[in-house]
Amino acid sequence: MAVIALFTVFPSLAFIYSMLFARFHQSKALNELLARETVVMKQLGGDNLHTLSKPISERKINKSGLLMSNITVAPSWWQLFLGSIRSIFGGNIVSFDKVLAFGRSEVMQRLREQAIGEGWDEVLNVRVETSMVLNKVKGGKQNKMGTLEFVAYGTGIR
Amino acid sequence: MYLLILRRLMQEMMTSNIETIPGFTITKSWGVVSGSTVRAKHIGKDILAGLKNIIGGELKAYTELLMEARTEALGRMMMDASQRGANAVVNVRFATSSVAGGAAELFAYGTGVTIVEG
Repeated sequence: MAVIALFTVFPSLAFIYSMLFARFHQSKALNELLARETVVMKQLGGDNLHTLSKPISERKINKSGLLMSNITVAPSWWQLFLGSIRSIFGGNIVSFDKVLAFGRSEVMQRLREQAIGEGWDEVLNVRVETSMVLNKVKGGKQNKMGTLEFVAYGTGIR
Repeated sequence: MYLLILRRLMQEMMTSNIETIPGFTITKSWGVVSGSTVRAKHIGKDILAGLKNIIGGELKAYTELLMEARTEALGRMMMDASQRGANAVVNVRFATSSVAGGAAELFAYGTGVTIVEG
């Protein structure tokens, strides 16, 4: 009896919670990310990530190594609901945009911080890849939870 | 034993994302080397991640899980390279995909080469 009540009441409460408070949690994470980005950019006077495969200035490279960072993000239930309504009419799904933009920026910031932490001067040939992972493939309902993984990898030089 | 070899290889073998290893010359190419792992969810972490799904944002448990699996795939690629006789891997790329049953396959591939200093 209690179990039935739990399984019917809990999802509705969770949905209402996600409608009211998910934006607050996500914007908190976003603001922290922006603060970290500003600190690092100011410290470096630019960005140490490059998509080129050679350094811009002629320099001698003593050591190199492969760096990688990743993040798994998912939209909240409310955002998934908004997305499903938007899918009926077509067009840009703004609620997903925010989550994905956060995920991509966060993974690049992690790569920057990892490069600084390990003492690399620059990171060359940075590539970012997205993939849907860990979704349930049952009866054609793919990726119900909208979990996405971002990977950023590059070659650090010093 | 296998894990020990893997750890040692990952420390010693040079890898890079670009087409050369800076400071070294490539003398021979051994072709495409690759390594992959398939990682399934852990039920306990899945429940917690399901709760985190309500508010969205980052799922830390999965992030760590996938990074561990990716490092293992990289290690297997280096093992493949060393078995062929290469001592470095260049132009490393990653690919991730879902396989049936809620598992993820992580794939790392590159070109195994022999490098000498200079």
